Amino acid sequence: MNILKFLKEKKTLIAFDNEQVINKAKISKKNNHLNFEKENDYFVFIENYNLTEKLVFEVNKGLNLRIYLITYQSKNLEIEYEFNIEENASLELYTNFNTRRNNKFNLKLNFNLDENASLKLMSALIFNGNLSLSTNINLNGKKSSAEVEVLNIGYKDTKFNIDQFVRHLNKSTVSNINNSLIATDKSKLKYSVSGFIAKGNELSKAHQSNKGIMLSDSCEIEVEPKLFIDEYNVEASHGAAIGQMDEMQLYYLLSRGLTEQQARSLIIFGYTNPFISMIEDKDIKRLLTSQITRVMKGKADNE
Amino acid sequence: MILEIKDLYVSIEDNLILKGLNLKVNGGETHAIMGPNGTGKSTLAQICMGHPSYKIESGDILLDGESIIDKTVDERSRLGLFLAMQNPIEVPGVTNFDFVKAAVQTRMSKDEHLRIGKFILKFEKASQDLKMGQGLAHRFLNQGFSGGEKKRNEILQMKMLNPCFAFLDEIDSGLDVDALKLVGQNVTELKSNDLGLILITHYQRLLDYITPDFVHIMINGKIVKTGKDELIKRIDQEGYDWVKKELGIEDEDIKPYSLGVCPSKH
Ligand SMILES: Nc1ncnc2c1ncn2[C@@H]1O[C@H](COP(=O)(O)OP(=O)(O)OP(=O)(O)O)[C@@H](O)[C@H]1O
Ligand SMILES: [Mg+2]
Repeated sequence: MNILKFLKEKKTLIAFDNEQVINKAKISKKNNHLNFEKENDYFVFIENYNLTEKLVFEVNKGLNLRIYLITYQSKNLEIEYEFNIEENASLELYTNFNTRRNNKFNLKLNFNLDENASLKLMSALIFNGNLSLSTNINLNGKKSSAEVEVLNIGYKDTKFNIDQFVRHLNKSTVSNINNSLIATDKSKLKYSVSGFIAKGNELSKAHQSNKGIMLSDSCEIEVEPKLFIDEYNVEASHGAAIGQMDEMQLYYLLSRGLTEQQARSLIIFGYTNPFISMIEDKDIKRLLTSQITRVMKGKADNE
Repeated sequence: MILEIKDLYVSIEDNLILKGLNLKVNGGETHAIMGPNGTGKSTLAQICMGHPSYKIESGDILLDGESIIDKTVDERSRLGLFLAMQNPIEVPGVTNFDFVKAAVQTRMSKDEHLRIGKFILKFEKASQDLKMGQGLAHRFLNQGFSGGEKKRNEILQMKMLNPCFAFLDEIDSGLDVDALKLVGQNVTELKSNDLGLILITHYQRLLDYITPDFVHIMINGKIVKTGKDELIKRIDQEGYDWVKKELGIEDEDIKPYSLGVCPSKH
């Protein structure tokens, strides 16, 4: 297993591939069930693990957990993850999935939240490949809430199809989705973002905002926001701002002496920076920053 | 230094806005430009800065005798031009601090290093001078700033960048009485023989704090009258009608013009 160096040093690491499990975090793992019973920040590293069934993460009652999930899968490409967040528990989950070039990658992320449970999902999607990702969030319990933050950078011939679906299945449930999308080269990013509030689930709130910037002539970003609402006493909103780099923002920065290249980098950084700054762990933050810097190299130059 | 605008004609989307404008500003001088809405005051400031939407039809802009109209926006800035915009732009995700730092760094020569500690102190001092509040450095550039905060942030940038010529386009609009005084004091402190100031304003109150050496009245895309304090007072009391009458300027808006082929009533 090729564990990233800084991860090896983490005391709360659980890493596995087909041959080996390194379980410094002492999480109870039965087959494909990871059971989290102690409050902590965990680092989960998965490499080419053969998953025939879904991998289940159980967040027990009342626990506040932070999990950093980093995967390098290039063999088994149909994967389902399930996260069950029990009553009064909270999960802050950072994901960074990676695969080899041009692999077709099928990924499902399912979340089930009980009463008063909360989820903050931060997904960094930065690899060159062909990804279908569907994120399903079921707000089953009263007052459960989910915040989803996505930073997606498409480059080369990345092709991503992302489906996000939040189901509000109880009263006073809250969801908030923020997608920040950057496309360069010939990449294509396609999003369908749906919020569903069933009848009777009053005082629920479903919000989403989608920001996208296209940096080349041959890239594409397509976002389809959808809200299905069958109840009056709720709040819902969606917005999508997708386009080229804003001329006036560029002009403003240039007028203070920044070169065009500096100005463009700074504006692009403005898309990635809010996401990066949400990450608590310094090493993970550094890893992500270098990943972004690597793929964005030269992309700020005006073609 | 000298900034000279010579017989300048400028259009935007095929509308001619500046129609033969002349202005000469020496380092150390403060010029006020006043004039009715839509007369081209912001256009003048923007074209000097190099705004991409405006087009120079003829004429020239010279800095110390050298034309700058072929220079890019950032080159002009680094040559010492500054524009405090009437409507400062919001740039989400970019912190005020990172932005100003980049702007200061880009002015340094290759072998110079930004001394970050010194920079931070200067930034904080400037923020305090303008009563900008602590969190400002790490807020996103102009995003969610109040009208007055945006204006003060323009002056903060001016303080950090030490321009040779600064256009302040309606820096007074949106400022409360105390903030106006504060901005007035800050700009006055910046005055030196190395700074030429061009204040675009509608009101006397700004000019009570920053005393101009020259007052220009601009109507229909050119400067039609130049004087001193006495012009400000009169404009404040009477508006612009007297100037128009005196100089025989017709209101363009009142001029009859064709809307194309419309059925006419008799
Ligand atoms: N994009 C545009 N397309 C067409 N006309 C424009 C455009 N932008 C500005 N103008 C016109 O140019 C003219 C001059 O505008 P400018 O902003 O320079 O006026 P101003 O003197 O600064 O006015 P104010 O005192 O209201 O700020 C106005 O009539 C305005 O409507
Ligand atoms: Mg104006």
